[in-house]
Amino acid sequence: MNDAIISRRFFLTAAVAAGGGMLIGSTLRPEMLGAFATRSRVSDVPLNAWIRISPDDVVTLISSQSEMGQGVMTTLPAVLAEELGADWSRVKIEFSPTMPAYRNPRINWQFTGNSESTTGFFELLRTMGASAREMLIAAAASRWGVKADECFTENGKVIHKPSGRSSTFGEVAEDAAKIVPPAQPKPKPESEWKLLGKPLRRVELPAKLNGSAVFGLDFSVPGMVHAAVKQSPAHGGAVASFDKSSVINLPGVIDVVPIPNGIAVVAKQYWQARQALQSLKVTFDDGPNANLSTESLNAQYRAALDGGAWKTVKTEGRAVSGEEMTGKFAAVVSQEYESQFLAHATMEPMNCTAHVTEDGCAVWGPLQGNELTQLTLAATLKLPPEKVTINRTLLGGGFGRRLLTDFVVQAALVSRAVGKPVKVVWSREEDMQHDVYRPATLQRVTAGLDKAGRPTAMAHKVVSPSILQYVFAPAVTEDNDPSCLEGLMETHYEIPDQRVDFHLLKTGAPTSVLRTTGYGPNIFAVESFIDELAHRAKADPYQFRRGLLKDERALKALDTVAEKSGWKKRAPKGVGRGIAYTEAFRTHIAHVVELSVANNLVKIHRITCVIDCGVALDPEICKNSIEGGTVWGLGVAFKSNITFKNGRTVESNFNGYEIAHMFETPPIEVYIVNSNTKGMGGTGEVGPVTLVPAVANAIFAATGKRYRSLPLSKHGLRIG
Amino acid sequence: MKQISLTINGKALVIEAEPEKPLLWVLREDLGLTGAKYGCGMALCGCCVVHLNGDAIRSCVTPVARAEGKTVITIEGLSRDLSHPVQQAWQEIQVPQCGYCQPGQMMSAACLLEQKSSPTDDDIDDAMSGNLCRCGTYPRIRRAIHRAAEIAATQGGRK
Repeated sequence: MNDAIISRRFFLTAAVAAGGGMLIGSTLRPEMLGAFATRSRVSDVPLNAWIRISPDDVVTLISSQSEMGQGVMTTLPAVLAEELGADWSRVKIEFSPTMPAYRNPRINWQFTGNSESTTGFFELLRTMGASAREMLIAAAASRWGVKADECFTENGKVIHKPSGRSSTFGEVAEDAAKIVPPAQPKPKPESEWKLLGKPLRRVELPAKLNGSAVFGLDFSVPGMVHAAVKQSPAHGGAVASFDKSSVINLPGVIDVVPIPNGIAVVAKQYWQARQALQSLKVTFDDGPNANLSTESLNAQYRAALDGGAWKTVKTEGRAVSGEEMTGKFAAVVSQEYESQFLAHATMEPMNCTAHVTEDGCAVWGPLQGNELTQLTLAATLKLPPEKVTINRTLLGGGFGRRLLTDFVVQAALVSRAVGKPVKVVWSREEDMQHDVYRPATLQRVTAGLDKAGRPTAMAHKVVSPSILQYVFAPAVTEDNDPSCLEGLMETHYEIPDQRVDFHLLKTGAPTSVLRTTGYGPNIFAVESFIDELAHRAKADPYQFRRGLLKDERALKALDTVAEKSGWKKRAPKGVGRGIAYTEAFRTHIAHVVELSVANNLVKIHRITCVIDCGVALDPEICKNSIEGGTVWGLGVAFKSNITFKNGRTVESNFNGYEIAHMFETPPIEVYIVNSNTKGMGGTGEVGPVTLVPAVANAIFAATGKRYRSLPLSKHGLRIG
Repeated sequence: MKQISLTINGKALVIEAEPEKPLLWVLREDLGLTGAKYGCGMALCGCCVVHLNGDAIRSCVTPVARAEGKTVITIEGLSRDLSHPVQQAWQEIQVPQCGYCQPGQMMSAACLLEQKSSPTDDDIDDAMSGNLCRCGTYPRIRRAIHRAAEIAATQGGRK
């Protein structure tokens, strides 16, 4: 094995592959290993490879990232192929095992989320690709006795320019593997890109078009049995009693197994397990949250906003609080905004296959949280982490839900109990009523204005339950959760005095990460409020925002959305246009929504969106993602709402928890402004962030009515 | 258990099943055809749509007994080689994201095109609004249906 240090965190490693060929990998420096500190860096080299070049010229990228629709099975191999000069038709992707080497270098943790599949790995992959290219060239040049700088790679070959001589990657891979990786490999400049920056056909798409794609629900292993589960209807409750004999003689039933907050019926087929579960005699103890309801939560939020303890998390300038503003400014304006609880409602319900044996545990499923899952299973089953193997299928949507481990632990416990591989599948009702929800928030924004009505001071109070508690506990303290503050700590609006106060609310409602995390509710509040200030100042909401911004990328996004949406042209009578801008997940985004309202029926005529994500490695995938995020946002703005009663989630299926339909989706135009900056942004989560306030702002423009709480269905509005 | 005769993707079969068992779970569990998906179990989301004698039906609420003597087509039967106009258009426009709902979307779309060779946007809204997509690919689905209509017209109808 040879290695070179490429970053503070990683060694780059190279080794000869079993059967010839070349492996390029990376290994965390020992001090970064954390829970895996005892593992030898040397012994896992063949396992921690990111790139395998086989003697038959196939280039394989081993990806730590899960495919949940964000196109990562295409874009990451494209980064690699680009740097290598590989033949795109001979690049394959495999999912990695769970090991420190595959951690996201930015966060030092292995997971798929936070809009980082591409942004978190781009630099690492292009560095490894460039390194492998230089090694392949060096090996070929040495074999030919020519200078390396006279050679280049193209279509999977090293080519000696003066003589035209060439070798395939496979032919020189083994020699290349014996070379010390260059300490500072040179990635290709963007001007030389052939694959990146252009739309590629997504590699996993054909399987998604003829039914052959394998999602978690479709996965099977020989000898596998099936489990249907019923969890305590009340959040935080547990099984009080159950009668196995009530179902054990039903067709196919194998066993009834208690799980941490419920019960599983195991049968030869899933349908049998599901049917038997309905007949199972089981009672639950509702536990500590039996009185939880939307009303009790509303009262809790209100009490916190009006009289709770505050942690001041941001101060700029004089950092005047809302209460202190009175009398100090030409005018003071204050408003409250409310965002609702949301469910992930992935189309594929939670499911996982597990096989626990004496030797360890293997799971297969649609999973985002590789490392958390491995450590949780290890702790639950009292196994060393390396005895827990996490295998990933395709994900039928993720949106953050599959970072959690509850359903995986269930599969492992049931498998251990019955001594067989088991697939646990949640019904839609279990999935919706035992989700971990995007927390509702209550916010108050107060601004001190100058004579022209421009804010010179802004104070923002946020009440929110935790987002990161279950997925990244180290970041959460007794009174703070950084994810709840996203979008408020780093605003681009030039306001001299700024202050943010936070109250981390403890509730009985389970809450966690969901597409847009803190940005969603916070930017709804900020962009609604800025719009209110603009109208109050009788200013054009686009120009008003412009006047508060200096950041070039922000201005470019805003100007482009105004231009593309025809903002400056007078809207027809009765038609309102709403605009919103922010930076979220390192992408600048602006939306313009054009709509009209009659009898509470909202007709959306057109939506225009502009993003600047730095560099769009695959513009079509980025656009699809933003279109989809915009549609997601329509559901959030108008319909989606989780409520609670008697400790339980009220909504149980898509009739109660509504998402946007085809007929509600207007034409959506997405434009990408590539600022070509080094800060590449994500596109997976940002789409809904500005859409939601742009809708509320457009409704105000059309009707003069300002809605400050979501969803708009609360106010009788619907898309027609 | 009851013997039920039906034709699935062109193949005549006699299967043994509980007559009340939903067609979806017979396809997935007894026949290994996992293209049709479970999404809601209540005919609310459309992930399970297959064709029964040419109609787009929700297989999650359709007892298998109702398929007795009838013809079922699933996504696997649309074509394996992606030659059906709907598959071609879905590929060309790169419709799917996660892809889980797409078999149901495509089966609904194929049925619509059988009934209306050149559907309008309103026809598409009517036919497709029972198929949910959490990734929000509706704008692309709409484009792809128009494109599939063009492809089918050029090819002189379905292959």
